[in-house]
Amino acid sequence: MKLRMQITKEKGIRFVSHLEYMRTIERAMRRAKLPVAYSEGFNPHMKFSLASALGVGITSKAEFLEIELAQEIELESALEKVALALPLGIHIKAADIVDNKIPKLMASAACADYLVQVPCTQACAEELHKFNAAVSVLFQKPIPKGRGKTKEIEVKNFITRVDGNFNNNNLELKFSCKITPTGSMKATELLKILRDQFALPILLEQADIERTDLYGLNTKGEKKALIGDNNF
Amino acid sequence: MRKKIAIDILSSVEKPARYTGMEFGSIIKTEEETEVSIALAFPDVYEVGMSYLGFKILYHILNAQPGVAAERTYSPWVDMEAKMREHSLPLTSLETMKPLQEFDFVGFTLQYELSYTNILNMLDLGGITMFAAERGEDEPLVIAGGPCVFNPEPLADFVDFFIVGEGEEVMVEVMQLYKQWKKAGKPGGRSEFLRRVVNITGIYVPSFYKVEYLNSSAEGIPAGCFKSVTPVNTIAPAVVQKRIVKDLNTIDFPTKIVVPYGEIVHDRIMLEIFRGCSRGCRFCHAGMVYRPVRERKPEVLKELARKLVDSTGYNEISLVSLSTADYSCLEPLVHDLINEFKEEKVSVSLPSLRVDSFSVELAKEVQAVRKSGLTFAPEAGSQRMRDVINKGVTEEDLMNAVGAAFANGWAQVKLYFMIGLPGETDEDILAIAELAKAVQGKYKEVTGKGGAKVTVSVASFVPKPYTPFQWVGQNDIAEINRKQMLLKDALKIKNITYQYHDSVTSVIEGVFARGDRRLGKALYLAWQRGAKFDGWSEHFSYERWIKAISDSGLDKDFYATRERTQNEAFPWEHIQPGVAREFLWEEYEKSKTGILTEDCRHADCTGCGVCQNLEAKIIDWKSNGL
Repeated sequence: MKLRMQITKEKGIRFVSHLEYMRTIERAMRRAKLPVAYSEGFNPHMKFSLASALGVGITSKAEFLEIELAQEIELESALEKVALALPLGIHIKAADIVDNKIPKLMASAACADYLVQVPCTQACAEELHKFNAAVSVLFQKPIPKGRGKTKEIEVKNFITRVDGNFNNNNLELKFSCKITPTGSMKATELLKILRDQFALPILLEQADIERTDLYGLNTKGEKKALIGDNNF
Repeated sequence: MRKKIAIDILSSVEKPARYTGMEFGSIIKTEEETEVSIALAFPDVYEVGMSYLGFKILYHILNAQPGVAAERTYSPWVDMEAKMREHSLPLTSLETMKPLQEFDFVGFTLQYELSYTNILNMLDLGGITMFAAERGEDEPLVIAGGPCVFNPEPLADFVDFFIVGEGEEVMVEVMQLYKQWKKAGKPGGRSEFLRRVVNITGIYVPSFYKVEYLNSSAEGIPAGCFKSVTPVNTIAPAVVQKRIVKDLNTIDFPTKIVVPYGEIVHDRIMLEIFRGCSRGCRFCHAGMVYRPVRERKPEVLKELARKLVDSTGYNEISLVSLSTADYSCLEPLVHDLINEFKEEKVSVSLPSLRVDSFSVELAKEVQAVRKSGLTFAPEAGSQRMRDVINKGVTEEDLMNAVGAAFANGWAQVKLYFMIGLPGETDEDILAIAELAKAVQGKYKEVTGKGGAKVTVSVASFVPKPYTPFQWVGQNDIAEINRKQMLLKDALKIKNITYQYHDSVTSVIEGVFARGDRRLGKALYLAWQRGAKFDGWSEHFSYERWIKAISDSGLDKDFYATRERTQNEAFPWEHIQPGVAREFLWEEYEKSKTGILTEDCRHADCTGCGVCQNLEAKIIDWKSNGL
């Protein structure tokens, strides 16, 4: 069986990297003394994974974590222990316990919602409309460790529309971004596209980006929660 | 909570999590519950500073005191410093993001001489007046302690007072005194506080002393040398005696520590099994200033280990001390710890091993959960040289140790050496290469095949105060370079890796190690001209240092390469670790003919004077019948 949790990455720890976030969770699990399963071999490691990596600097209400367990546990008392073992800046939002046969969260996560607050001098309604109406938006995405090499991707395959709300020199942007087996896009990449290709005068470097949700999609393309009903 | 650093700044620097705090185990006290605040300031980056056990201990002990808030601060890396200066952001603590200038105390640790410019830089970034004499009433008291406090003179202009020796008890006494003084409305201002705090044993207030230098040469000692340091008032002691904790079993050791998000240098539980070392290696500063040996009881250590594993989630316990293999109950302790934590996938590691007390059984045991390399420190290549430094190990010891290791499956060994030792000849240097070859030969003899990987790591010797070599002249750069190349040529052998340090950093380290108060000016000039992170070779500029030293009217060779005579007084001798000058001189004399001195734990008292001066005794659990 495995324990699945929806946890947060809050403002104060937004600059903790994905790897550091993973290590933090691993240590918290050890502090919580849950009967976690380990891999065999010389360098045993905890069997756990996150549904989707989050970029450095981005906060999240929806990080999904699953941990394989070596024996049965009772959810409520386990969560009490985990909550005490987590550092400031990570909280549990939901959790369940499921059979090992249930597909990995990583395979189920299909879409992420983002909320961005970014300094801007104008409402940009027209510019956003242009993006939303465009059939195709191309982007040269840098290849990881590709030494400056890029590959062209179709933004519209991932993000079809962006909603804006302007208030007090602050532009609030909301969008959903698909996660496919062949890849996804970063929120910062979208902001760059909006600034460079659609002339939004946003101060990208000061953008406060939050992942507000991560979920699966059913065959009809409707939102499907990643884990069970134990919401907190 | 104070102002947070803006997103755009943090996203533009390397490893931004260095600056954001909020780690598990960090202690944040409210302003209401804080009567006295101290920033524990480590003059290097977060990953280095977070690995320092001394501050983990003080953080725990100070925060356990009601009304005392101890917070942490580290040197920002150069990219972050540039941003902070550009945006006028002060250096703050990680806990409450409070600027350093708002603390009651800022306490630096003096781990190595090359971190001194970072201390000045942190004061500047923290908004604190650089010179102690010019600091205002509302500014923090800048204090410092740690191993380099046994010659604090180069920092005398910048520090209000020093804490000499182990801090667990004395730091609490200082905080209590400050609380009372603050409650009374800070009568007499900061000068009155200094007059009060100097009554505590182990406190050195440099402004209470006058230093004199020789105007003309006298009794063979050249003009310009240090003459005397004397109190300018009746309250400052002529000699400041170091503080020690007499029995480590009676004091608190942190069982809850700050667990970082990012990887730090020593990212594991550090369990201090004993303090002090009386092996008596003649080059070793720590071995002289941390005496006497005091062990923690195995039962106490096991209890601490359990609590630390539970509270941190770390999966490795490192048994730390100056010479871990010398812990009298090491084998049963390691055995018990491994058994206790095996199921939880927690491993036990030993930081370094002495070849004469190496046990392959022990090494195999600590490998039980995770694999680790083997490192030995013969320190010198020839037996003659090892006897000069009183290392007390033989080639046979080393061969037995590596032979046993090779027979049990190891094929990699790292060997630590020093060059530039007193009386060293080229034969002694070449003997390092011979020894490395002999280790490879041993592998062939034991396993019947070649290919053992040997790493030879060579440091340049720097004479330190309060060691038997405090009188000797350090090799100059040309000589060190020549010796490094001599060895490099001799080590062009398959499967031997040769590592050596930059010779120029050792010179500046040597200047400050045995420096005096006049060097404060050079330190200030070097910092003004951009010196910082001198321990990081990419930031170290030898030319800048040499210019700063000569612009201060000083000469590097006077401090580094000059051999001192027996009767020369030293500028650090009013700060006392308890080791008698006569003992050190006698050890120096014995070194010249390679006469060994035994470890007083297992032989007669060597007369170093520590136990008598500090009214302390050696605590060794095996000989205490446990």
